[in-house]
Amino acid sequence: MNLELLKDKFGLGDDKLYGVMGAFSEPDDLVQAGRKIREMGYTKLDAMSPFPVHGIDDAIGVPPSKLGWIVICFTVLGAATALLLIWYVGAVNYRLVIGGKPFFDFSYSIPVTFELAVLFSAFASFIGMWAINGLPRLYHPSFNYSQAHRASDDRFLLVIEADDPKFDVEKSVEHMRGVGAGDVEVVEG
Amino acid sequence: MSQHSHSSSQAGSHQAIPHHADSYQLEVSRWTAGRNVLVFAALLGILGCVAGYFTNPARLFQSYMVAFAYTTFIGLGAFFFVMVQFLTGSAWSVTMRRIMENIMITLPVGLILFIPVVLGLSEIYPWTNPQLMNSDAVLRGKAGYLSQYAFVLRTVVYFLLWSLWAGSIYRQSTKQDTERSIKQMHIASKWSAPGLFLAVAIGTMASYDWLMSLEPKWFSTIFGLVMLTGGALSFFSVVTLVCLGFRRAGILKNSITQEHYHDLGKWLLALTAFYTYVAFSQYMLIWYANLPEETIWYRHRMEGSWLPISLAMPFLRFLIPFFVLLCRPAKRSLKVIGFIAVWSLIVEYIDLYWIVMPTYYKTGPEPHWLDLATLVTTVSVCGLVFWSRFRKHKMVPVGDLRFEQSLHFENA
Repeated sequence: MNLELLKDKFGLGDDKLYGVMGAFSEPDDLVQAGRKIREMGYTKLDAMSPFPVHGIDDAIGVPPSKLGWIVICFTVLGAATALLLIWYVGAVNYRLVIGGKPFFDFSYSIPVTFELAVLFSAFASFIGMWAINGLPRLYHPSFNYSQAHRASDDRFLLVIEADDPKFDVEKSVEHMRGVGAGDVEVVEG
Repeated sequence: MSQHSHSSSQAGSHQAIPHHADSYQLEVSRWTAGRNVLVFAALLGILGCVAGYFTNPARLFQSYMVAFAYTTFIGLGAFFFVMVQFLTGSAWSVTMRRIMENIMITLPVGLILFIPVVLGLSEIYPWTNPQLMNSDAVLRGKAGYLSQYAFVLRTVVYFLLWSLWAGSIYRQSTKQDTERSIKQMHIASKWSAPGLFLAVAIGTMASYDWLMSLEPKWFSTIFGLVMLTGGALSFFSVVTLVCLGFRRAGILKNSITQEHYHDLGKWLLALTAFYTYVAFSQYMLIWYANLPEETIWYRHRMEGSWLPISLAMPFLRFLIPFFVLLCRPAKRSLKVIGFIAVWSLIVEYIDLYWIVMPTYYKTGPEPHWLDLATLVTTVSVCGLVFWSRFRKHKMVPVGDLRFEQSLHFENA
């Protein structure tokens, strides 16, 4: 982890622009405004809401999560680990006849294979989700927005990030107001 | 099925979409055309069965047993899941619930479809042979349970109870179309809670009676659950195909959207996985314990050309449908879930065939034209009952309080 990233996580970086933020009081307004903003050509958008809002990912162009691919890789790895372990221990390393059963057989290997596949996928999805979201982090630039706390209460926030190639402070503020956002502010990072 | 009740969003964007373009009443001309096809199929099937009765009665009854189980377990799957919808208060399924209910209401007709089984008891069940039953201490102990009178009486009771429950719930649902009150929903929920018990407990007993007793010595407690899950999977496949068929004809096109199909896809995936879980549990425990009276059932299915079918089952039942349905775009593709629905229905028939037929044909499957004739008969008779409901009632539960919510349902 480089120093810049660490600074960023703890909010110790140099003051730079995070973006333009606005608030909506209805989830549907957020979705509609998000779609309109995206249709203007913005690509780096974000939204914050007290509960999951249907259709917001599609509206602001959040790509499908890669987590599923990470999980399936670990599922296969877990299944392979289990089969390899059972086969190696039972049929190679320490051959022992138990109850007249074969040294290796899929019939009795499947429960353990299933359990280990589930265990690996559970870990992969939990740790993968944290990693993809850049967690844990104690600071986020959106905290500087005066209405930030209301994203966990009664407001639905929309962000046009400063990294956006189309971002322009004055124009973006205009655009944000244009789609009906209240409390529009320029937020520093 | 994550869903949010965004009651505050009524005035939002949704009003703009013309959902109300759908007609909720099936046109009479279309209904008549459907009925004519079904009546024709039923007559053809019954004619075939009558011809079979005079040429090869034993085979007729054996094939009929597979066909009877096929449609009855679909009805049971519908019975279970309609009650689940009421108890959980699901919104996602409301636009499809009348279709589910119409499948459920085919369950009572099973009592009539059971008559040929009664007529053919001695051809179907080895335990009707007193010599066999006296030959063994275990079988002598089961003779009381596996007597013809007790068997028929039990099945009649099963069907009467199911019919009472299914009929009562159906009546509440159709009454709500006009009453539009929450009262019917509450009454339907009250029937549903004990109804789930009836579906599973009696469904298990029915599976034991109808299918497990084909091998009178054999027993497996999880067998009923395996059969019910197979029926539930077939039920969701039928719902998917009926909806897709309607969609092709332009019926309910705006009411049953990709979001609803996505959820049907999730159910197909979930039940495929659950079926594998219970069916494998049965196999693994019997394999591991290695007791002769238990392994004999699988032994019979590993002889001759039954073996390739047994070996194909993990692929047909699990590996192929599971991995096809696994990713989200697949479940949202109408083509993919239509394919899997057809696949599951075919595999369910093969599965039931594989459960029933080794009782009579030890060296491998011997397909017969009566297999088709009996299947056409039971499917078209149930299909007629299903279809007849669309004449009188709306195609969707328009009076359900969650109907509007269901129209706008979206997966998170």
